[in-house]
Amino acid sequence: MAIIDPIVTGLNSGWLHTDASQLQENQQFEADVVIVGTGAGGGVAAEILTQAGLSVIMIEAGPLKSSSDFNMEERVAYPNLYQQAAAMKTADKAIGIFQGRAVGGSTTINWTTSIRTPKEALAFWAQHKSVAGLDSEALAPWFEQMEQRLNIHEWNYEPNRNNGALKQGCINLGWEYTVIKRNVAGCWNTGYCGMGCPVNAKQSMLVTTIPSALEKGAQLISRAKVVKIEHHNGQVFALKAQALDVNLRPTSVELLFKAKHYILSAGAIHTPTLMMRSEVPDPYQLLGKRTFLHPTVLSGGVFADTINAHSGAPQSIYSDEFVWKNGADGELGYKLEVPPVHPILIASKTIGYGISHAELMAQFNQLQVTIALVRDGYHPDSQGGQVHLTPTGFTLDYPLTEAFWRSARRAYASMAELQFSAGALKVLPISDGMPYLSSWKEAKESIAQMDLAPLKTVVASAHVMGGCPFGEDEKLSMVNSYGQSHYLDNLSVMDGSIFPTSLGANPQLSIYGITARNATALAQKLTDGKG
Amino acid sequence: MNRRTFLLGAFAGTAAIALGVNLYSPEFSLPDEGEDKDYRLLFGVLLPVMLDGALPDVASHKQAAQNRTLDAIKHSIDVLPDEQQAELFELLDMLENRLGLLLLTSSMTPLLMRSPGELTQMLETWRHSYFSLLQTAYLGLRELVMASYYACPEHWSRLHYAKPELFK
Repeated sequence: MAIIDPIVTGLNSGWLHTDASQLQENQQFEADVVIVGTGAGGGVAAEILTQAGLSVIMIEAGPLKSSSDFNMEERVAYPNLYQQAAAMKTADKAIGIFQGRAVGGSTTINWTTSIRTPKEALAFWAQHKSVAGLDSEALAPWFEQMEQRLNIHEWNYEPNRNNGALKQGCINLGWEYTVIKRNVAGCWNTGYCGMGCPVNAKQSMLVTTIPSALEKGAQLISRAKVVKIEHHNGQVFALKAQALDVNLRPTSVELLFKAKHYILSAGAIHTPTLMMRSEVPDPYQLLGKRTFLHPTVLSGGVFADTINAHSGAPQSIYSDEFVWKNGADGELGYKLEVPPVHPILIASKTIGYGISHAELMAQFNQLQVTIALVRDGYHPDSQGGQVHLTPTGFTLDYPLTEAFWRSARRAYASMAELQFSAGALKVLPISDGMPYLSSWKEAKESIAQMDLAPLKTVVASAHVMGGCPFGEDEKLSMVNSYGQSHYLDNLSVMDGSIFPTSLGANPQLSIYGITARNATALAQKLTDGKG
Repeated sequence: MNRRTFLLGAFAGTAAIALGVNLYSPEFSLPDEGEDKDYRLLFGVLLPVMLDGALPDVASHKQAAQNRTLDAIKHSIDVLPDEQQAELFELLDMLENRLGLLLLTSSMTPLLMRSPGELTQMLETWRHSYFSLLQTAYLGLRELVMASYYACPEHWSRLHYAKPELFK
């Protein structure tokens, strides 16, 4: 039974796709709306705007890759589908960042966890960040719409052993746990979501909204990097882009895009970077500041039985026991989840080398890994990072504060307690200098004393948010609560960069729902109700 | 070239402080940008130490695994963005350069002539250094080597890991 690749089929049927790496001459494109980026924001906006009868161009810096290319090997997936071949780091190299760079953006490579924006985050935004009209009730219809569109349902199958241990630990300890909703249809339960779904079960933008937009005549330009927003007197009049070669390095070919309206959906980091490089009005110097991650620490539990943490739906259980425990702006909370454990990922995100590392890797299938995602952006000592321009790109300064380290220490203790409770023989907090711990009692004492520091403690993040906040107060925000720029009439932002804090939850459904609301409003405005 | 020079200065300056070296108008003669270099000799020396216990025991298999890893390292470097490549090349160039070695390891002895114990000591010094640039050098090499070794399906047998066979 061959697996049909819907992208190959669509391209053969005449979808308008230009791979800019193949262009030999400068070219100009025009449409009603040009969208920069094809991830969770760009994909949803493209479908809604084409359905409203508008002509749409989607520009993507990454390549168009699809299930025929997804061979379930990290060595292929990381360079093809991730920013900086999955080796992106903060300026001090203390945090590794995983962000997608391909058609579909991070939705092509995420682990399918779909969570509505926490009510605590929405309340904080309304109270402190001047975001209007976005409480849980107002957003509910938009979440329902997107949950239906992307087949988001609870994963009502037995969790794999990796998630099962998280669930069992929570049950034993009386902690909250939730069965995760996933955007999948006909999932084969293989566990390779992070390398691109090989069977097109994941309802990413790549196989849902983007094909839908292309079917309606939208145009996709891949391997083209927008480098400048041309603007004057409060209006954008063009976008300039650079064609990229197959290795994603610039060629000499330049592209020009003209539209009635422009949407930036290049994701946190890249949307603010583009705006900063284009010197868009920013009187309160907000761009690139308050860029948020969910800085994440890891704990390895060695079990007697086989865990096979690479196999099966990668995330099907989470625990919010500790996320909001101290109030939104109290001590930093953390969400407990598990990651899929594949060789490169775990080999590089552990510690040491030589015999000790080889012994850890030899226990690969007995290893249960729990992660704690720390919620940044609420506590006064948790203001996130700042994007800076460099001559050829950007850096992200992201200081890990004392408040973060206090949270990390509590998180290591929670993870060890959970893993021992679920039956771990020993637990290894993934921070240099820590030994295997053989009991919860030993862990409690040892973690209380452990040295935590940048570069010594392994910290990673898959969720990049903020840097171009939304809200009604111009002192606090770059765009209004509908994503419309305060300063450029025909520019909107629809991606995770508009979040004024981190979410305390995996972001894809928040971006889908809020974009659905904001793109629908924009479509009505652009069609004057005639759509 | 500006960035390269700047970074080199950063590495060298920090290393000089770390090691108490009195820099007196140093003249670095670094090789050209490195597009054609793959640093096989350098990594050939480091791999047996960094992958001790992971590499196969049988000599011929061990050699084959090292060669595959060296190929994978080249591939890993090739797909890095220019800025990261430049940083890495700078470190690797320093490790192939006597003065660079002196700054980073307080010894001019080429890595090729050092024993596994001495190489381990060098890595441990960086790993536990108070200077973030030396820590970063350790972590950069470590991540590159580990990611490249475990990128190869041929090296997964000890992990009992294999990707599923789909009908493709």
